[in-house]
Amino acid sequence: MSVQEIVRPAAASNLVMEARNVTVRFPIEDAPEVTAVNNFSIQIKPGEFIGIMGEPGCGKSVAAQALLGLVRPPGYLASGEVLFQGHDLLKMDPEESRKLRGKDIGMIVQNPRYSLHPMYRVGQQIAKVYRAHNPVTKQEAWDHAIAMLRMVGINDPERRANAYAHELSSGMAQRVLIAIALSSKPKLLIADEPTSGLDVTIQAQFLDQMWENVRQTNAAVVLVTQDLGIVANYCDRVLIMHKGSVVEQADVHSFFRSPNHEYSRAILALQREETSEERNTREVKVDSTSKPLIKVDKLTKLFPIRRSESKVHAVDGASFEIRPGECLGLVGESGSGKTTAGRCLLRLVEPTSGDIFYRDLNLSKLTRDEFRKKRDKLQIVFQDPLDSLNPRWTVEQCLMEPLNLHSTMTAEQKRARMQELMQLVGIDPGQIHALPKEMSAGRQQRVSIARAIATNPDFIVLDEPTSALTPETTAEIIRLLMDLSRKLGIAYLFISHDLTTVKYICHRVVVMYLGQVVEVGTKDQVFNTPAHPYAKALLSSHLFPNVENRRVDRAVRETLQGEIPSPITERLPKGCYLYGRCPSQKDRCKAEKQELKTIGDGRQVRCWRVAEGDLPIEVAVGH
Amino acid sequence: MTITPGPQVAATADASGVVVIPKRRRIDIWRKYKEEKLFAFGCTMVAIMLLLALCEILHLELGLPTRITPYDPNFATGNVSVPPPPLADWPGLLVDTIFNGAKPPHWFGTDNSGLDVFSRTIAAPRTDMTIALVAALVSMLLGTFVGLICGFYRNIATEVVMRISDLLQSFPVFITAMVLVALSGRQVWNIVLALAIVYAPIFVRLTRAEVMSQSVRGYVESARAVGNPEWKVAFRHVLPNSLIPSLIQVSSTIGFAILLTSGLSFVGAGVRPPTPEWGLMISLGAPQIILGEWWQSIFPGVAISLTVFSFAAVGHGLEEDYG
Repeated sequence: MSVQEIVRPAAASNLVMEARNVTVRFPIEDAPEVTAVNNFSIQIKPGEFIGIMGEPGCGKSVAAQALLGLVRPPGYLASGEVLFQGHDLLKMDPEESRKLRGKDIGMIVQNPRYSLHPMYRVGQQIAKVYRAHNPVTKQEAWDHAIAMLRMVGINDPERRANAYAHELSSGMAQRVLIAIALSSKPKLLIADEPTSGLDVTIQAQFLDQMWENVRQTNAAVVLVTQDLGIVANYCDRVLIMHKGSVVEQADVHSFFRSPNHEYSRAILALQREETSEERNTREVKVDSTSKPLIKVDKLTKLFPIRRSESKVHAVDGASFEIRPGECLGLVGESGSGKTTAGRCLLRLVEPTSGDIFYRDLNLSKLTRDEFRKKRDKLQIVFQDPLDSLNPRWTVEQCLMEPLNLHSTMTAEQKRARMQELMQLVGIDPGQIHALPKEMSAGRQQRVSIARAIATNPDFIVLDEPTSALTPETTAEIIRLLMDLSRKLGIAYLFISHDLTTVKYICHRVVVMYLGQVVEVGTKDQVFNTPAHPYAKALLSSHLFPNVENRRVDRAVRETLQGEIPSPITERLPKGCYLYGRCPSQKDRCKAEKQELKTIGDGRQVRCWRVAEGDLPIEVAVGH
Repeated sequence: MTITPGPQVAATADASGVVVIPKRRRIDIWRKYKEEKLFAFGCTMVAIMLLLALCEILHLELGLPTRITPYDPNFATGNVSVPPPPLADWPGLLVDTIFNGAKPPHWFGTDNSGLDVFSRTIAAPRTDMTIALVAALVSMLLGTFVGLICGFYRNIATEVVMRISDLLQSFPVFITAMVLVALSGRQVWNIVLALAIVYAPIFVRLTRAEVMSQSVRGYVESARAVGNPEWKVAFRHVLPNSLIPSLIQVSSTIGFAILLTSGLSFVGAGVRPPTPEWGLMISLGAPQIILGEWWQSIFPGVAISLTVFSFAAVGHGLEEDYG
């Protein structure tokens, strides 16, 4: 099934919008023009939820803007038309198309905080847009704004309508944006990465809301995203863009089952391999009885707040163990303290209290200088690959540094070792003199990994190593990490909010919430039968790219209420930290501090209801 | 010096021998030189001034035949002033002076002592450029080092250093320099030191601000994680990435230092006469303007303006691209 076959001229009457052969080019000084969007065609039916996917720079955002009738200079329209209600948006008078944009075509952009006007109340902003397109009085518009806020699921909309943008959380600001976009009941909604930067629980709340709202009004949605999970769980149809062209256009079920294009297969690699032989051969077998390599005991990190007695409880008595060769996943929302925990482990942040043992050595008792000498065995790979490499150093300099610091090799041996490292992580020898900014994000991350393994460490903290990467590169890096662990016997602490990769790579999983460990178990235990209510909610909110169990098809879409509280001494809940958000809470939870207790199947859970058998452990619906 | 193909000539010239520009950037500088007239003018003027200074220094210090002044700047060759003529002749004489005072062989005329103004104007860069260059360099080195320490280690001691630097900056530059020179004596090296001290706080501020913003970058944490001791993190990672603002600033500082050097000699707190020096020449020529002898002050004045402007143009050009 080729692209051409799908895009055949259809009766325009039952389509919301049709784009034909849209080509947008960007002239570049002293270089040939760049074709950002090449022959982009799409037909949108009422009520359809369409996903446009592709790596950064593939032209998906430019294409989405063209659907709005916008081509931003210096880019220009080389050919094509966008038909909406019988008009060509791209050739229309700008004033006319502006009227259509607010009324019949809604737009939701990335970064909700910046998109709201800081000096108007949010209710006014909704009312303003509504009045611009509908002949109503101020009072009617205001009432409509409140009704819209209620519709997008904001509690107490009368009060919230009077709030300013900075008074809202980012999740709530995003809802206000949907309210603005939907206020005139548009026939088409275009959302450009609306949830990037939001936590999974908030993302799920938001997308559920958007999905319900458009189903009510039978609007069509075009969602631009990089996230396979969003596509699998919400979209009906998906367009894959690669280097400006649509390489695949398919029904979401058939796309995930049998992707046609090579590029589609590459981005789906991790999901397709998950159960396959290939993954199993990569997996390291860990002896579960062996002595722990790293043992963390009651690790606590409090950050003082300026001019205040209270403190930020980043990590609150976390304990866990990592065995040699094991990959331990550390998951949780942002603000759960997982990154701080990883940094405390390597004393990049000094822990407030608690012990960290490396074999029998208590790392937290060493002086900074003694610990520095141990860094050859304990390494870290950071989240942002470009930021974590010195911008002025070449690959060679980056890789030689750990060798120069820790080894007693001769210059020739070091060079040989460097060649070996480059081969291990798959960097082309020709790139030895390249600067970080001259390489792709995936290459940069390979250099970071090579730097980390240079001195033969036993243990590496992987701090969200793939969150800045595209799905395709993520798959490559995850495979590389598993290969390295198998070949070199390295143990990992894999910190991530992306449960899909955690599920692929990890042996055991630690779930953190507000600085506390709430559940520790094997991967199968935590993913198949999560016990702690937070782990359950996290798994159910996470959008696994699995079309067999779509979130929108589920009868109950479990998620947490509200947002993660701020971890400041006096604002922390008195009893269980989840009290107030938990769907299974009881009165006892309000006042009783929870302890991490080992339950029947060997895992540890911080919830009295689970420990006392009051809350049954069920098979998760999440995936 | 290595063999310098086209692009590198441009890089060395505009950088006035100070700026170490990484290989990749030289091409950009060369392109900038070709495309931007103001920047190219600045670079050319700076190069000419450096050349003049170099020729004079080589001649005086090593006795090489590199003197390019048509007359010896320190020996009278022209007409010495004569007793004033009768009052009735003055108007005609004034006109005569204005139009005929500066003509070949003394293109820029001669001063009161009969010294050739042209020779003295082009001999002056030896003094002005040397003082300004060395002073700017010393203040950059000093300021960058202090700024690095103060930005990297944030504690009470470095806070005190910053307050001292603020204090120094709160006095007018000219007054501070004058006091320092008056206290230490009018030797060339004292002037250099005084200038270096008054301009150092700018570099301290600039470097400290950049160091503070670089210190929170990922690569700094990565350098710690790989096992670098703190001093290595500071000097090998943070410092090279924090130099750009200072390197850009140095060009305008040289310009200001030239202005200050001449200013000091104008008020009598700088180099001693009869050293060829622009400020001194203006100062000696100023009382003669009323007599129609405009050339004594105008030519060195124009030289100062051009040089300061050129350094500012170079600094501005670099700032646009790398600031």
